[in-house]
Amino acid sequence: MRIFENLNFDFLGKRKFAYAISGVLFMIGVISVVTRGFHFGIDFKGGSEIVLQFEKPVEISNVRSYVDNIGLGYVEVKTFGGETGVMIRTDQQVIPTAVYPQVVDAIEREIENVMPGVPRQIIDSTASSVTYAFQNPDTTNILVDALFSAGFQSGKISEEPDNTQMIVSVGISDWIKENLREKISDNSFTVLKEDIVGPKIGDELKQDAVLAIFFALIAILIYLGFRFKFIFAFGAVAALFHDVLITLGLFSVLYGLIPGLNLDIDITIVAAFLTLIGYSINDTVIVFDRIRENLKIHKTRPLFDLMNTSISQTMSRTVLTGGTTLITVLVLLIFGGEVLRGFAFTLFFGIIIGTYSSIFAASTLVYEYATKYKKKVEF
Amino acid sequence: MREFRFRLILIIAAIVLSIYLLYPTYVDYQNSSEIKQALELKKDQILRDNPELNKSQVDRILRIMEDSILTSSPDIVKNREKRVKLGLDLQGGMRIVLEVNTGKLMQKLAKNPDEAFNEVLAEAEKEANETDESVVDIIGRKFSERGIRLSRYYGTIRQEDDEIIGELKEDAEDAVTRAMEIIRNRVDQYGVSEPSIQRQGSRRIIVELPGVAREEEAKQLLQGTALLEFRIVRDPEFTFNVMQKIDEILAGKIIDSTMTDTTGLGNETADTSLTSEDTLNQEEELTEEEFREQHPFFSIALLDPQGRSADAYVKADERNKLDMMLNRPEVQKVIPNNVEFIYSAKSFTGNEGEEFYLMYMVNKEPELTGGVITDAVATINPTSSAPIVNMTMNSEGATEWARITGANVDKRIAIMLDGVIFSAPVVRGKIPGGRSQIEGMADLNEAKLLEIVLKAGALPAPVDIIEERTVGPSLGEDSINQGLLSVILGYALVAVFMIFYYRKAGTIAAAALTFTILFILGVLAGFNATLTLPGIAGIILTIGMAVDANVLIFERIREEISTGKTIKASIDSGYSRALSAIVDSNITTFFTGIILYQFGTGPIQGFALTLMIGIGASLFSALIIARVIFDIMVAKNLPATVG
Repeated sequence: MRIFENLNFDFLGKRKFAYAISGVLFMIGVISVVTRGFHFGIDFKGGSEIVLQFEKPVEISNVRSYVDNIGLGYVEVKTFGGETGVMIRTDQQVIPTAVYPQVVDAIEREIENVMPGVPRQIIDSTASSVTYAFQNPDTTNILVDALFSAGFQSGKISEEPDNTQMIVSVGISDWIKENLREKISDNSFTVLKEDIVGPKIGDELKQDAVLAIFFALIAILIYLGFRFKFIFAFGAVAALFHDVLITLGLFSVLYGLIPGLNLDIDITIVAAFLTLIGYSINDTVIVFDRIRENLKIHKTRPLFDLMNTSISQTMSRTVLTGGTTLITVLVLLIFGGEVLRGFAFTLFFGIIIGTYSSIFAASTLVYEYATKYKKKVEF
Repeated sequence: MREFRFRLILIIAAIVLSIYLLYPTYVDYQNSSEIKQALELKKDQILRDNPELNKSQVDRILRIMEDSILTSSPDIVKNREKRVKLGLDLQGGMRIVLEVNTGKLMQKLAKNPDEAFNEVLAEAEKEANETDESVVDIIGRKFSERGIRLSRYYGTIRQEDDEIIGELKEDAEDAVTRAMEIIRNRVDQYGVSEPSIQRQGSRRIIVELPGVAREEEAKQLLQGTALLEFRIVRDPEFTFNVMQKIDEILAGKIIDSTMTDTTGLGNETADTSLTSEDTLNQEEELTEEEFREQHPFFSIALLDPQGRSADAYVKADERNKLDMMLNRPEVQKVIPNNVEFIYSAKSFTGNEGEEFYLMYMVNKEPELTGGVITDAVATINPTSSAPIVNMTMNSEGATEWARITGANVDKRIAIMLDGVIFSAPVVRGKIPGGRSQIEGMADLNEAKLLEIVLKAGALPAPVDIIEERTVGPSLGEDSINQGLLSVILGYALVAVFMIFYYRKAGTIAAAALTFTILFILGVLAGFNATLTLPGIAGIILTIGMAVDANVLIFERIREEISTGKTIKASIDSGYSRALSAIVDSNITTFFTGIILYQFGTGPIQGFALTLMIGIGASLFSALIIARVIFDIMVAKNLPATVG
């Protein structure tokens, strides 16, 4: 079986139409980015994210109302996987001061539970911990253990045998878990996944991500500059920008529109973008390679025809490889699980756009350049 | 066939090597499920027999059992070491990035900090969060702006600011080393398998703990301060006496009734040590097996045959067995309750390459704890040129120390950090004034370690958790299953498509694809690389993209055939013409893989790695394996059609 046998389609003739499509997609993306913006995951924003697996199905709106009232401001609550999974996320780094008394109250209640009326004193409280002093080491040890098994993160301030101080750390995620444990007491949960990213790390990762994409584009530009004439390398990299920008726009447009699809931009998505760059350049190189070869054979043929023929000749390969890759990415999108969904989604659209751009952005750009400067394109 | 011989050998070698590298993974998978089953059974049994045990106690017993299963057959461990490692996202576990809090350290190091100091420190900490400048530099700058000399808070009065800043930086650097050593020491004892503790940059420590389910506990492990204790090591006669009682109980020589009078131990009698020598003499005639049976304790806790000390040598893989023995209630009864057995922190290698730990018997009650130490410095003794550690204590500690050393001349004092012994030097004489010199280290590195340990108990190494990622084991298991399903399904769909579209040539491509996957996994195992969930995604993606080379070649061959060439000529020119496109396109993809590997952490690196290995493997499959099959078919006049 074969498709596109002896295909000779006028790709370059349709380029104005393609420019219009790319332009519209690009504009939609820009408008959406300006009005709706991007949604960064906690990798880049910093914050806490916990994924809980409840024993029984749980009403997501209930969970939302519970965590809305614990004073952390806006807390994102989504389903994760099936109806027993819940993802809770906040970009707060530390417990807000307004909530602090509640946290101390919860600790106090627990202490009263174990040892009613035990003499105690709060000697230090920071944004993420409270330090208590008791009268003797034994009391301290008992309370540290009791609070620990009640789900608090308690510990001795020092391992010295005569230590009388207890520190209770309260992170955002601890506070969320503590509240849910109390409010949904008939449906226990286990923690599937917990990520806490400090603000500094987030900034570093963001910087790294931008640098990685930038270096990838530079490396490709240099390599192709060596292997082909510079204009081809330029066309290829311009096509990559086209792919990345349109896919980014799509991220902004589709955010929150498709239920069950998490389109936050995190490290995995950046990896998907780099992969998309790799795939798209692959496609472009194949077309260029054919143009280069045909230029050597048919020295007198007009560039317009020659490029059309080259694209037509590689068309079946483009569609076949694109097809098999899309099949596997689709499998990943459907069966690969929650964690990889955003990644697979990015690649799915990225591959379609990357394939389209190797013909309608990379090749057409080279053609425009050649006709504008009336240059004879050679290798 | 002669012309293909070289390539055939190459292909077979690659396949055999991959299978060889993957075999341990297969065996380990089977072993693991067997062990898991055995442990499930045991768990039920334990819970039935002792319903009063709580979850962590049961877990502990199970862990000891698992370890003893593992150590009982070295093959299991060997295979486990060689298997394809799974990333934290697949097997569950936690990754924590810690950063030494220089600000807090500066505060603790400062002599009489006042209002101005606290103000500057607060400003410096804020600034350090926004810029890359170190807290120490900012503090130095701010003080000089205010015209305050640093010597007011740090160092001695005559020191210049620059000198003090240099010293403070060294302190900050030291704190990281100290924190790492404390963490390593604790993680080792916590019994995490394959932990990874790495230093990143100047102030960060990355700790990876696979399979740690109790995250709160693990976090505690990493934070809190360390406990340094000085404890008296019991003398050999006493220790040997207790050991012998244990040995007899375990061998079943003593029945319960006689045990009652041994519980009042604490005074060593000449009688028992005499009998002990008798038994030792007899033992020389026993075979190893008989010895094992009659002296279950001494066959694991090996003593110096000359009896100079009663420090027992315990093989690293027999520690758990020994712990189980020592934990038995009847054994606990004969160990006096003011002493306990404690292991050395570091193991050493014996003559035959086995790892040994030393086991000491020490008092339960510490003589002194580490808070009194003001400084410790590892150096070389100028007269003997042996490595030594100089330790100084504050006045309160010095008084106590003089009393302790005075009362224990010629005895040994164990230096213990978080429950394990780092050194047990002999007291040569009473040490007044709090300045002690510890010698007997093998080299300067060992002395440095002791310096870190001594400081760890006294000086703080405040660390903050700045990143934490935990994956529960059930999510990891789901991810593995979903990943495997996707790999199989992706492969099946692509293979069916290729066979449908290219018929015979497609079958060849599908076969080559199988080898591609085999090679990827083989290389992962061979390089000891880690497979992560994005790594599996990389394999799936490779399956889709790997056929690209084949498609390029097949399309070319079709074109050549349509120009009227023979099959053989078409195959030859098809391959050579497709080559430049294949190479160019794959090299650029490889570039992005390298960059991704550089930029990413953990899971993402796993993806980049499989992507890069995938490119190499698919090129090998397409350019060599598929080609040979074609060539052989042509040579044998089989119809090698492309669709």
